[in-house]
Amino acid sequence: MADRIVMHVDMNAFFASVEQQANPELRGKPIAVIGRGRTVVTTASYEARAFGVKTGMNTWQAKQACPQVIFVIGDNRKYTHTSAGIMKMMLDYTPLVEVFSIDEAWLDVTHSLSIFGSAENIAYLLKSRIRHRFGITCSIGIAPNKLLAKLASEMKKPDGLTVIPPAEVSRILEQLPVKELCGIGRKMEQQLLMMGIRTCGELGRYQLERLTRKFGVIGERLQQMGKGIDNSPVVPVEDEQEVKSVGHSMTLDKDIERRQDILKYLLQLSEMVGRRARRYNVAGRTVHLTVRFADFSTIGRQCTMKNHTNRSDEIFNEAISILDTLGLDQPVRLLGVRITNLCYQQQQFPLFEDERRKVLATSAMDEVNDRYGSFAVTYGSVLDNGDKGSFVISPAWRPDGIRNVDVK
Amino acid sequence: MQIKELIRVAVVFGPGRAIRPVWFDWHNRKHAVLETTYTWSDLKGSARRLHFAVRDDGGLYELTYDTSEQTWELTGLEGN
Repeated sequence: MADRIVMHVDMNAFFASVEQQANPELRGKPIAVIGRGRTVVTTASYEARAFGVKTGMNTWQAKQACPQVIFVIGDNRKYTHTSAGIMKMMLDYTPLVEVFSIDEAWLDVTHSLSIFGSAENIAYLLKSRIRHRFGITCSIGIAPNKLLAKLASEMKKPDGLTVIPPAEVSRILEQLPVKELCGIGRKMEQQLLMMGIRTCGELGRYQLERLTRKFGVIGERLQQMGKGIDNSPVVPVEDEQEVKSVGHSMTLDKDIERRQDILKYLLQLSEMVGRRARRYNVAGRTVHLTVRFADFSTIGRQCTMKNHTNRSDEIFNEAISILDTLGLDQPVRLLGVRITNLCYQQQQFPLFEDERRKVLATSAMDEVNDRYGSFAVTYGSVLDNGDKGSFVISPAWRPDGIRNVDVK
Repeated sequence: MQIKELIRVAVVFGPGRAIRPVWFDWHNRKHAVLETTYTWSDLKGSARRLHFAVRDDGGLYELTYDTSEQTWELTGLEGN
């Protein structure tokens, strides 16, 4: 793992920048991209951030922080198209591209320098192509590993290019607060502070034994992070581990209480899960149900079946049986259905006529939906659910494969 | 504002795979496209749809070309 050159590319205020590019009236103004219905700010433009508008605020909080903020309902298809285009550009410089999320990726350019000269040159080329094609900017960090490349990309925003050469690593980390490292959240930061560790330098020098006693196996990893050591490879999408679950969840437009209403959404979610599983030829044996209530308390239960399935009706039936074990004392805000215990290449034609008909009907529905779009044909009871499908880009979204959820 | 109206659009195809809307008819008026501000595509079922955010002298519009049906739709409107 010695002498690697890794780049981290972070699109600046991605969703907001795309919207400002698409609508010139929004350029230079404080805007906040929000979802449909009762949702929160997903991205704020730099102009809005200057007033304190942050991701995760609700619209009321954003308006308090910046009365002139303009709310823009996000168009996920613009973002997935743009992201996929940018990730494709990256592959022109190295096959080792790891998509971290819709707006972040690592590139291992160690073996690309003989063609492109230097990592800085690749960064400039990529930045200028992104700007020319999409009109938006990104910040790029170049360093000997993923941890430091991500740190470097955070150092100058927007439109930055920061290089951390190997010789500078210790100097940069010495006074750097531990919270700046990717993977150290607020909780971990608090625990480290209680141990008297404030900076990365202190973390790197801390007794390994005490770190291991406190944090277990990740103690050693933490100490290495403090020293700026990260041997994790850049993993292209085709080498990623097989997914371990297929799931969908949805925050409902308004809280619901009646069982029949809950079942309609469970059926819709089961169909989304089943359809994606069938498309990629996987089946699950365990069904998980997640329910979030009006007070934001959340419960999750699971049930394991005798056989693997990717049929929506069977997933739905399991979800109902789990639901019936829960005490629903208050209105429901969010529902989620997920299958795990996956097996790949699931193809089994049932022996009995009734079951065989169901499989054929499912397959016929899939064919229609493949041709005319999701939910072109669906179960009658979900018809009045309003807009159907995924409306949120999950952190696990990828440009291709089973993680490529078709968002609306 | 989301709308969904089949419209008549004049388009320059090329060079290469480029597609550039030049004007469109809507509400008995010919709207000259001053700028295409953004383009993106998506799939509806098996049909690829190309979206164009375009600006005329009065507002911003979203035009959508369904490559399967070969139809143009006005699908969005802002600032009118």
